[in-house]
Amino acid sequence: MRQTTRLLSLSLLLGASGAVPGQTGPSEDNGKVVYDKWCIHCHGQLERGPLPGTNALALKYRGELPAILEERTDLAPEFIRTVVRGGLFGMPITRKTEVSDAELEDIIAYLTRTQAR
Amino acid sequence: MALPPNVSEAEFSTALDEFSAVVGADWVFSSDEDVALYRDSYSIYWGEPEERLASAAVAPASVEQVQQVVRIANRFGIPLYPISTGRNLNYGGAAPNTTGSVVVDLKRMNRVLEVDEDRHFALVEPGVSYFDLYAYIKERGLKVVIDVPDPGWGSPVGNSLDHGIGFGMAPFRDHFGAHCGMEVVTPEGDVIRTGMGALPGSDTWQEFRYGAGPSVDGLFAQSNFGIVTKMGFWLMPMPEAYLTGTVSVPRYRDLIAMVKEVNYFEDSFLTGLPNYSSPVTGGSDPNPALATLMENGWPSLEQVEQFVDSQDRPAWSVTLQFYGPEESVRAHWSAAKRRFASAIAGAVFEEGEFRTLPIAPEAEAELREKRRFGIPSLEAFTLTSRTALTADDPPEGHADLLIIMPRKAQENWDLARVLYELYTELDLPPITSPFSAPSPFFPRSFLRFILIPTWRDPERNRRSREIFSRIIDRCAEHGWGDYRTSPAFQEQLVGTFSYNNSSLLRFQEKLKDGIDPNGIIAPGRYGIWPAHIRNGRA
Repeated sequence: MRQTTRLLSLSLLLGASGAVPGQTGPSEDNGKVVYDKWCIHCHGQLERGPLPGTNALALKYRGELPAILEERTDLAPEFIRTVVRGGLFGMPITRKTEVSDAELEDIIAYLTRTQAR
Repeated sequence: MALPPNVSEAEFSTALDEFSAVVGADWVFSSDEDVALYRDSYSIYWGEPEERLASAAVAPASVEQVQQVVRIANRFGIPLYPISTGRNLNYGGAAPNTTGSVVVDLKRMNRVLEVDEDRHFALVEPGVSYFDLYAYIKERGLKVVIDVPDPGWGSPVGNSLDHGIGFGMAPFRDHFGAHCGMEVVTPEGDVIRTGMGALPGSDTWQEFRYGAGPSVDGLFAQSNFGIVTKMGFWLMPMPEAYLTGTVSVPRYRDLIAMVKEVNYFEDSFLTGLPNYSSPVTGGSDPNPALATLMENGWPSLEQVEQFVDSQDRPAWSVTLQFYGPEESVRAHWSAAKRRFASAIAGAVFEEGEFRTLPIAPEAEAELREKRRFGIPSLEAFTLTSRTALTADDPPEGHADLLIIMPRKAQENWDLARVLYELYTELDLPPITSPFSAPSPFFPRSFLRFILIPTWRDPERNRRSREIFSRIIDRCAEHGWGDYRTSPAFQEQLVGTFSYNNSSLLRFQEKLKDGIDPNGIIAPGRYGIWPAHIRNGRA
């Protein structure tokens, strides 16, 4: 929890989040909105209840990597695309009528916001 | 890319252009990459020739567009497979019964049309998820509760049309049973409204199911007689209070009387979903003495009773859940204690959780089993994705059997034993014991859930199919019926409902021929095939 707060504060300080007027590229801010609608029910904080995604990743990484995706700093955009569209180990395919390609790019912008560009 | 059966590539291409003219090119999906999104993530035939695949998908935004899509499909003879959100994982997901079908993805029809907090109902479109409906109710502070199933991303329309179930009071847990009023696009492109919806000017579409004449609503569930575009649901008024109470009984055979009492409370609408368990097993911390008891196979009744008597834990418990004004829930618990004490010597009682509702937003996030309060979540997937038991080899998905059986302790025991014997025959570790507890999801029957893992490996899936198929048949020999399954097993399943030379299926086939003469809606769903394919089928 503390780590997420720190990462969020950091990105705010750096001005890395927020849509620039006239910008048409992926939006971290909207990525967070889409993430909270579509992803967080499995990949949120465990304080929110038993969450299958966070639970599964905790079992998979056993502390070597954060179980909470929003705390990860190593996620590759192509990996995120592949898993969202293809599903993985119980996580089902997400269709374009659910999360559009543009929204998927926003999610990627959000999840990779702390990575060096 | 798969093509619809008996449709040429040129015809298909023309049809896709016509679909695009109706819904817009952005909402017709025909590239391999896009069509792959309509595979069943949990398919038990993943990557094998038998995996059922769509040829394309089309996503209309209105009932008029659905009508036009249906008319185009009729002209070209293209099978359509409607999905609401396509999230009925383990029951087929978004993938069709017939390879080459065009999926009609209704996710864009996502309006909550009405929630009435005085008359306690909702009217929604198919693309509305339980999360969406809950958000709508919460934003407006409406004093109604949804009965939610495990997957919050599912659709009330889709879930109820697949005969889905929830976790609340008896009148709401059977989600199809709690629906009231439908709008349906027929296989020929007409639109009907059922019940009072057929009376122009009526404001009782979501209040009185029947209208006049035969009720046809049941035809549109687990079937292929139309595309449902709106559906009403009865909601529970927001209770003022919630209370749980647990009854525990000492002896093995006390389950007989316990079930009778619980049935009394359920059928009098005095409790929500009863949760049975067997404390003597240790639950999540297994009692090692139980493994010893089971060492030499299924124990005799005397051995089981001796085992229970040698332990200092109750044989059975049931937790009752009371919803209503505080005075009522306390009175119901008090009545339960009196009745159980009178029926079962040595019954002990423990009052559990008490809450006033609505739950404060800041408390909501920390709630366990949100479903008890009508709050949708995906908590249950924690048990089916990677768990401590499957940490190094998680399955890709699961295929569930949902076996319907009588609400009697003896039948619960009999089924546990039959499954134990079958698993032994199949050389599998048993999943049942004499202490397998009943689960009464549908209000008037017991339901045994059996989860079979699915994989991306054909060899392992072959084994899973064998197990699944054997369970359907073995249960049917005893009069216990699976009630819901994926297209992979629907033929076999409806084959077990064979009374009078399968007269029920033959009747459904006659309806199919009359209602859908070109056989374009979901051919093969729950074993109902159009005439032109029926006879040629193996």
